[in-house]
Amino acid sequence: MPAITVRNLRKTFQLKRKAAGLRGSLRALWRPTYESIEAVRGLSFEMDDGELLGFIGPNGAGKSTTIKILTGILHPSGGEAAVLGHVPWQERQALAFQIGSVFGQRPQLWYHLPALDTFYLFGKIYELDDSFLRQRISFLAEAFEIEELLETPVRKLSLGQRMRCEVAASLLHKPRVLLLDEPSIGLDVVAKQRLRATIQRMNELEGVGVLLTSHDAGDIETLCRRVIIINHGEIVYRDKVSALKRRYLTVKTVDVRYNEQLAPDFSLPGVEMVKVGRYGAKMRFDTRVTPVEPVISGLAAAGSLADVTVSEPSLEDVISAIYARTEV
Amino acid sequence: MRSKEAGALTGVGRVREHSAAAVAGKYWAVFRTQLLNSLAYPLDLLGRSLLIVLFMWIFMNLWRVTYGATGESSIAGLTLADTMWYLMMAEAVMLSKHDLSETFSEQVKDGSVAYLLNKPFNFILYHFAAGLGDSLLAFGGNLLVGSAVVWLMVGPPPGLTGWIFAGAAVVLSWLLDFCFSALIGLSAFVVEETNAFRWIYQKFLLLLGGVLIPIDFFPAWLQTISLNLPFAWIIYGPARLFVDPSLARLGHVFLQQCIWLAVVGGIVWVIYRRVVARLVINGG
Repeated sequence: MPAITVRNLRKTFQLKRKAAGLRGSLRALWRPTYESIEAVRGLSFEMDDGELLGFIGPNGAGKSTTIKILTGILHPSGGEAAVLGHVPWQERQALAFQIGSVFGQRPQLWYHLPALDTFYLFGKIYELDDSFLRQRISFLAEAFEIEELLETPVRKLSLGQRMRCEVAASLLHKPRVLLLDEPSIGLDVVAKQRLRATIQRMNELEGVGVLLTSHDAGDIETLCRRVIIINHGEIVYRDKVSALKRRYLTVKTVDVRYNEQLAPDFSLPGVEMVKVGRYGAKMRFDTRVTPVEPVISGLAAAGSLADVTVSEPSLEDVISAIYARTEV
Repeated sequence: MRSKEAGALTGVGRVREHSAAAVAGKYWAVFRTQLLNSLAYPLDLLGRSLLIVLFMWIFMNLWRVTYGATGESSIAGLTLADTMWYLMMAEAVMLSKHDLSETFSEQVKDGSVAYLLNKPFNFILYHFAAGLGDSLLAFGGNLLVGSAVVWLMVGPPPGLTGWIFAGAAVVLSWLLDFCFSALIGLSAFVVEETNAFRWIYQKFLLLLGGVLIPIDFFPAWLQTISLNLPFAWIIYGPARLFVDPSLARLGHVFLQQCIWLAVVGGIVWVIYRRVVARLVINGG
């Protein structure tokens, strides 16, 4: 049973156009002209209950518009959507009790107060009873490792700490679905990892479904099993993250080190040599052209191996490969 | 069919009754949180309260000369002491009202209104509760500092009834002022720049609302105009009640405030609904 169902969702914005200069302004006043921007064009997807679904795409792809429609704060121009059985834009308030949302660029914690004050406020807003709220706060504080931060004014927290508090706040009312719009924006690597780990833990502990938008491929790669990639308001890719890797991660980069000196003209058939040093080399090959097996045996035959690292392209590279393909 | 599916999916395990107490509790919590937020800056609060000292000093010099020049001990039924206490209350209300129009118009312009819509509360009431929290503290500070100064200048304040009556009327003043702020803020949906409206509203309050001069001192025709506009009932109403706390006046002030509240509040509600409808269509 899907937690989110979206069918043929469309959203067109009307933007007022105004020509430059005084004449343009006057004309716009007299007879405004509008331009239609199609932010979402016939999106269809489902998210299962308790699933971690990644939603990625470049800026302006329609990710945030979709999330806004799913929280009920934006009406679609066409199509259908149901979140936990509610039509979001018709039952916004009823839905608000069952979903949590974090908009990375719109903090909801009161900036000058300790996060705990906002937690108590949210407890009232979501009509939680006091004993439930207290238990919930201590549970989330532990899960998010924010016990020590709760009584510090939010303005004094680091961005990473603040974001962990934001996500914890959005889970106070124990929502079934969490919509995270760019939660990792601006975070450093360590803070990102901690945030991902806590989101994953909450998903495992409570089965909360998470729809996560990001333009950081790493978020999706570590958190989600399934990914939807959108561009220009349309889905360009949807599958398991592993399938995505298999399909687009055919270019391998190999770093190799030897115990003895290498021949300066060291090379292997079908392999592009990126760099050849005295004791090691860095090379690249495409598994669709050159099979893995002869490359590895060729490496072993060249001397006594000290170390081999095979790495795959990052999801960023993959996405640009997909874009390159769809735009052709 | 859809609702059946919903039932299966939404087993959160807690029954939500949406009782009146729970709903009132939300706005009480918003009010309380804003109170805490304002207390986070005690110096800021004190600074705001010091402004009233300057105003009272200017008024005192102005009106002492005026009363001296007329040679009367009372003008239009108000002694110099009455006038000063009136002005203190008028300024305390004026300086403590929480101007939401700027917040509103910014939120309307950049579309962030939307982000407050996805919580289970009413956006307008949320802002009013928050504004009240802020106003109450500022009002307390202004009253404390203002009365200390005016007491030193002209002697003791009016009796306890004056404080109670004025205090009650001030709550409705804030509500009425809030409606005007909301109206100005929401106008950002039609016009880009709301500062002009804000400026005009402030001047109406200063002149026709009785902040600078008690309306009783106006010529008869201007009194008629002022008392038939809502601005007088935001400032003049409670301030005049403070120095003349009769039941008849209390009833009259309340009646006027309620009438204007119904009118302006109604307009705000209609416009707010349209703004939200437009917002969810076009995302601000």
